[in-house]
Amino acid sequence: MREPITRILRGSALALILLFFLFPILWILLMSFQTNADILRIPPRLGFTPTLSNYVALLSGKLATSSGTLDITFLRNLGNSLLLSVASVAASLVLGVPAAYAFARYRFRLGESIAFTLLSFRFAPPLLVLLPLSLYFQILGLTDTYGGLIWVYQLITLPLILWIVRGYFEDASPDIEHAYRVDGHSWWRTFTRIAVPLARPGIAAAGLLAFIFAWNNFVFALVLASADKQPVTVGALAFVTAAGIQYGQIAAAIVLSILPTLALALYAQRWLVEGLSLGAVKG
Amino acid sequence: MSGLEISGIRVRFGHAEVLRGIDCRVAAGETVVLFGPSGAGKTTLLRAIAGVEPAASGVVRIDGREVQDLEPEHRPLGMAFQNFSLYPHLSAYENIASPLRARRLRTPEIEIKVRRVADLLRIDHVLGHLPRELSNGQKQRTALARALVAEPPVLLLDDPLRNVDAKLRYEMRLELPPLLRKTGAAVIFVTQDFREAMALADRVVVLREGAVLQDAPAEEVYGAPASVPVAQLFGDPPMNLLSARLVQEDNRVRAEAAGMAPGFPDLDITRMEAPLLGVRPEDVLLASPATGGAHAEILAVTPLHERCVLLLRAADGTELVASMAGAAPDPGTFVSIAGARHAVLFDPASGRRLAISDARTEVVA
Amino acid sequence: MSDFALPVPAKRWRVGRLLPYLLSLPSLLVCVGIVIPFVASAIYSLQRYNLAFPTGRAFIGFGNYISFLSDPSFWNTVEVSIIYTAATVGIELLLGLAIAMLLRERTFINNVISVVLMLPLMTAPALASLMWKLMTNPGFGVLSWAVSLIGLSNFKWASDPHTAMLTVVLVDIWVYTPFIMILLLAGLRSLPPAPFEAAQLDGVPGRFVFFRVTLPMLSPFIVTACLFRLLDSIQQFDIIYAMTQGGPGDSLMVFQVGAYLEFFQYTNVGRSAALLMVLWVITYFLSDRFVRQWHKLRERRQGHA
Repeated sequence: MREPITRILRGSALALILLFFLFPILWILLMSFQTNADILRIPPRLGFTPTLSNYVALLSGKLATSSGTLDITFLRNLGNSLLLSVASVAASLVLGVPAAYAFARYRFRLGESIAFTLLSFRFAPPLLVLLPLSLYFQILGLTDTYGGLIWVYQLITLPLILWIVRGYFEDASPDIEHAYRVDGHSWWRTFTRIAVPLARPGIAAAGLLAFIFAWNNFVFALVLASADKQPVTVGALAFVTAAGIQYGQIAAAIVLSILPTLALALYAQRWLVEGLSLGAVKG
Repeated sequence: MSGLEISGIRVRFGHAEVLRGIDCRVAAGETVVLFGPSGAGKTTLLRAIAGVEPAASGVVRIDGREVQDLEPEHRPLGMAFQNFSLYPHLSAYENIASPLRARRLRTPEIEIKVRRVADLLRIDHVLGHLPRELSNGQKQRTALARALVAEPPVLLLDDPLRNVDAKLRYEMRLELPPLLRKTGAAVIFVTQDFREAMALADRVVVLREGAVLQDAPAEEVYGAPASVPVAQLFGDPPMNLLSARLVQEDNRVRAEAAGMAPGFPDLDITRMEAPLLGVRPEDVLLASPATGGAHAEILAVTPLHERCVLLLRAADGTELVASMAGAAPDPGTFVSIAGARHAVLFDPASGRRLAISDARTEVVA
Repeated sequence: MSDFALPVPAKRWRVGRLLPYLLSLPSLLVCVGIVIPFVASAIYSLQRYNLAFPTGRAFIGFGNYISFLSDPSFWNTVEVSIIYTAATVGIELLLGLAIAMLLRERTFINNVISVVLMLPLMTAPALASLMWKLMTNPGFGVLSWAVSLIGLSNFKWASDPHTAMLTVVLVDIWVYTPFIMILLLAGLRSLPPAPFEAAQLDGVPGRFVFFRVTLPMLSPFIVTACLFRLLDSIQQFDIIYAMTQGGPGDSLMVFQVGAYLEFFQYTNVGRSAALLMVLWVITYFLSDRFVRQWHKLRERRQGHA
């Protein structure tokens, strides 16, 4: 590492890597501030007058095109993404945290098998479940409801929360909870006053990561949601094919769609390793 | 009966039986030391009594009431855990107040009681601190205060001095007995340190492999261990166990080994193949070689507290440990073994105690 | 002797034994609701079932599967899926390992780079595809322009059957290499320093240390990361569907995209289900292997804690 040649090689390798992985994000960001004329210019130029018109159009929902004004529902897609992700994570926390506690604290028959069954859902082809579900949802009246979507989103968020939070419960000494019980507190008070507060960093991390994964999901809503319930991932795709749409507006829509998860990821980066490996590896 | 009474406590971990039917009574105001090597099941027993470890069977009575079917929070007892187990997100004050909050006392009452016990344990100045801001000694006192504060009729103290430094351990050994007596509670105190047991115990219960080996006052466990394992466990350095030869005399039997020949008046067996003679190191009487007696070579010398411990090789080749006050002699020199002040005879096959020697000092002619 | 007592318990019934089941039951019920469609899929796969001809629905045993054997489009799906999976996982592993090695030391700048490199991974894959679609647009895409500079004037990226695979593989690499990188980096940094210090003191050459010390010690992490990626890659849907919907032609018709189109375009539920069942069998074996490996790693982590 001390030789100048290896330092230069290493430095340029890292520069190339950063270029490859960051360029698309930066380029789309630039595009989102360009007018159509700037975008279509060949060769591309870095010097342009930035415009907010793409964002204004998206957020106002009114798109002035050559063929008249076009209504777009991007804001509604954003709202759907937020609603679906927040509600799914909240439901998963309510369901998953007690279960994670049970798996961490009690060696009970079926315990491990239940836990692993839940984990294995993470790895089965989602369409295997989604396609028949699209038929069942019609019978159950869940087609195109937020409730039905949030239920199915548990497939993404629940295993994640379950396994990460379980790790945090396992890391805390059970004696602390025993001491609280011996002090005279009920099981429920011990769970809410001792176990959950002590696992709070893990619960927060799992929640943030589950939010990111729910937000980024595509196929669930593609199969089960119609236009007015679709999150940004599906909405943006429909956008591309919409007649008269401008490229700068697509770019702006992408930026607005990925911004929340990127910001959360930067905030939660300490726990990303753990979350991505479902609690198997600590960062 | 007031106090704690347990009988037939069994605990299984999978197929292994960790406690094989423990019986024990602790009267109110009494301190019983639960002594044994690690893995003996001491902590498991406390946890079973507290209800945080399910017992397969057995009865636990506190002040006459059966509690074995109750959840831990309904059992009237206080427990100090080995690792302190303080609540890391609560202040020392709130840690100590926890049992009082569970009992729904009013805030002013809680304040009075927490302050009183904190004063007693001299941690009143750190009540506002979080556990991670406390020294080990302060943590240990906080854990103790939490166990004491609700004045429970039963106190379970799981090796509370293990994780504190030697100086504090020494101080606490002096402070604890009067403190515990003042609570009037039935106390079970777990330790692996026989000195701690001697200092604190009204009675010692020796536990090994999930079974009680002996339940007796501390002096008796020390002076008259019920079996070879107790003799080996209780005492540091441990009791010498020497292969002896029985010699019949007019009204009693002597056991000869390494130049000692203590008499056993109560022994009714006269013939036994190589019984084990147990002699505490400090009971090996030493004299200068000039006085006669059996010579023994000093192989090694280790200072221990105010005494020194000698590893000796007696004339017959047996090695034994003796301890003596005063200046340490040099290794390689010789002493004379003049006899045994006190000795115990064990059956080599069953390991059980056969007899205790008479009080007289025996010197081989 | 105490002047205040614990509340007398209302019941002498210990909730203890049932508690863990009560706690995990809600989670399980939610997921069991999801097992039902899974079973339905298995049944559909044994039926002739087309939504457009509801009256023709009938049980045909393994008919759907048997017809796969002589169906070139099925074998095309298998081939495309294998190429996609092998290419993405292989390249991502090599690249991820290289980056992890470069960032191994815990310096401030390395930590910043490793965090920044995770941004692609946090981008929704479907949106990542859109981003690359914009960049490879033949009209104005910056990458189209860039390849024209090196003489490839007629390079059509995803619209050309010959380069479509390359394009989606590139997007997959962009999104998922950071995943392997971050896992291997965590693994590298968790290795005990002693063997490396000893090797350095003894003057062992770096290449030898890498192949004989680093790689073997890192292998549990490599295996976990690879299995994880294999499982995702063989099922890839988002990137391919968002980029070309399986086209052009059937050049990117991987399992899930094929099943999706079979279901919604041709309304052939039975065939679609059979295709997914084949995929499920593959993922079942992979995930079984993965879960065991993952469990080992997890217990190791517990052991360290």
